[in-house]
Amino acid sequence: MTNPRILPDRPLRTLSGAAVALAIAALVAMVLWAIFTTASDSTAQPPRVDVWHLVAMTTIQAGLSTVLSLLVGVALAWALNRLRFPGRDLVVGLFASAIVTPGLIVAFGLLAVWGRAGWINQAALALTGHPLEIPLFGLGGILAAHVILDASFAARILLARLDAIPAARLKTGQSLALTAWQRFTVIDWPMLRGSLPGLAAIIFLLAFTSFPIVLLLGGGPANQTMEVAIYSAVRLDFDLKGAVQLALVQIAICSAVIVAAAAFAPISAATGASTEPRWRDRGPARLLQRGVLVASVLGFGLPLLAILVNGLGPGVLDVMARGSFWSALGSSLLIGTGSALLTLLLALGIGLGRAATPRPSLRTGIGAPAYAYLAVPAVVLSLGAFLLVRNAGLVPETAAPAVVLCANALLSLPFALATLAPPLDAIVRQRGRLIRSLGLGGWQQFQAVEWPLISRDVGVVLALSFCFSLGDLGVIALFGTQDFVTLPLLMYRALGAYRTNDAAAIAALMLVITIAAFVLLPKLVGRLTDAAS
Amino acid sequence: MLQAEHLIFQHPGAARRFDLSFTASPGEVTAISGQSGAGKSTLLDLVAGFLVPVSGTLTLAGRDLLPLPPEQRPVSILLQSETLFDHLTAARNLELGLAPATARAERDRLIAAALDEVGLSGVLNQRAATLSGGEKQRVALARTLLRNRPVLLLDEPFSALDDETRATIRTLVKSLTERHGWITLLVSHHLDDIEALARRRYRLVDGKLTEA
Repeated sequence: MTNPRILPDRPLRTLSGAAVALAIAALVAMVLWAIFTTASDSTAQPPRVDVWHLVAMTTIQAGLSTVLSLLVGVALAWALNRLRFPGRDLVVGLFASAIVTPGLIVAFGLLAVWGRAGWINQAALALTGHPLEIPLFGLGGILAAHVILDASFAARILLARLDAIPAARLKTGQSLALTAWQRFTVIDWPMLRGSLPGLAAIIFLLAFTSFPIVLLLGGGPANQTMEVAIYSAVRLDFDLKGAVQLALVQIAICSAVIVAAAAFAPISAATGASTEPRWRDRGPARLLQRGVLVASVLGFGLPLLAILVNGLGPGVLDVMARGSFWSALGSSLLIGTGSALLTLLLALGIGLGRAATPRPSLRTGIGAPAYAYLAVPAVVLSLGAFLLVRNAGLVPETAAPAVVLCANALLSLPFALATLAPPLDAIVRQRGRLIRSLGLGGWQQFQAVEWPLISRDVGVVLALSFCFSLGDLGVIALFGTQDFVTLPLLMYRALGAYRTNDAAAIAALMLVITIAAFVLLPKLVGRLTDAAS
Repeated sequence: MLQAEHLIFQHPGAARRFDLSFTASPGEVTAISGQSGAGKSTLLDLVAGFLVPVSGTLTLAGRDLLPLPPEQRPVSILLQSETLFDHLTAARNLELGLAPATARAERDRLIAAALDEVGLSGVLNQRAATLSGGEKQRVALARTLLRNRPVLLLDEPFSALDDETRATIRTLVKSLTERHGWITLLVSHHLDDIEALARRRYRLVDGKLTEA
């Protein structure tokens, strides 16, 4: 525990953090209460789907996604750690962007490359005269999409661990002339293995609660997962009580995984820059590293490239000529901006409150509600919000924008807090003595010390939450109406109506906005802070 | 006069128990020496208020300091590192030594005077990270002047400096201490620093101070 005397005395921060945490806990409790009361209704019928089959399918899919993503992630981090080449920063940035790339876009990109009318099949047809039979709909497609997203995310986290290996340890290894395999097992693996259980838990939860990928690539009820079954029960079967019972099972399983994951080392979202390596592997290891890198860049980059090439053709002008597009774009940007700002406010309130107190129980109490989303994923959260709004006598359509904005902010909050909490804690731990001995006030501390040091992280938080919100389909799928449509819902509806060209154009525009926001927002906030100081 | 009498302290889980008594006078440097790990920094943390003793007294001119939190203690601290906020300019670091409500003209005048006194110019708009070790210590000393507290705690402040800069900063510390009547408590394991500066010397062995 940190020496409490070196922490500046900030009771107001602790109180504000506790108030934010309580407000989130109360909101989630109300959502859960709405779900529980609906479930305990005596007229409730058992769900029309086989719950155990759903649980088994979802678990198998999430388990396989986790194992494959970690394997690919470790290999990719290993290759990126060793190789230096022109454009490496761009490639690392490409993999870092996986965390914000909407699942809907990746799934659509996979279809554009590997689908029946995709690039690979067209090439095979041109070369051999026969199309390839690639089973993209079903478990294979779901796993491919999850591995593309989650392995890239894992690689970026694990690369930071490898980059943090002390230079002295590498010098010792090099002087001992360790082989590439010895180097991996003796030096790399001990750095990686501590992060793997926590990373596995996060990837498992992401895959378990995956919605748009399964919706698009699931290929029917056989591969349905809990999230999609809940959505189908509400939107297609109008079986609200069945959906509620599925949601309860979903919450129970996610909570169990979170409780288990809490025992593992936390995963920090912060990532540093790689330094120039003095020790390069040689021979077959280097060939393997190049092979892994090329396969990964193609695997992740090709679907995105296909989206841009297919989408940014003449068809994009047709889409942009329609009022429905501009309306959806306006809704997406408004909801994205609003939820990004709300996420930042909540994360700062909680992060500053946590950092201000040395008491572990209070720190846990303030931080825990921020992780509610991991237990109550998007579709379940929006189902609960839907019931809450309905029980309050409101028309869901009128409350939709506010609910979607709040739900999106809650969805981003765990990632925002994982980004902001470590630097805020570190500032107080490392500079607390100086801050206290100078007698700085709370505002002075924030404005002169904390804000300049976290401004880039603030930019990352704004970018992450804006992009999460921009790509969300889980919440808007339940609350969307004819008048209230965001870009992902507009794209999904276009796909449902077999207007593939429209969907491709919308996907391309979403991808451009996502990448621009992800790259530019942190730089913009950093520049504004530099200019101000 | 800064006086400690039987300040008793024990780090949680540690076997060693500190029992510290010393006296330090205004206008002179009092040195605390001892081997690495002897607890010299613990002593400064107790005076600065970052650690709380189990019992004992700590007074400045008869005023009890122990109930005061660190920010209200009449002390300034100079550490070996982390003396300045590296991400801020020298000017902004210096401003933090003044009350926030100080008017801009007054602030500029005080900062210029303090910098003049420590013999530094032309660094106001440089980020602290770009300053040399000696310049950083001068800026920190200038901030100490602005804060105007009667006790200065120095925790190995010259360790990272080259010999020439070290001698210059030592002279500066000594002259500022004498000119402003500061009670300067220097913690160091470098004999030459102690010999050059200290009028009174203590040695910390087995948790106890003995006057040398």
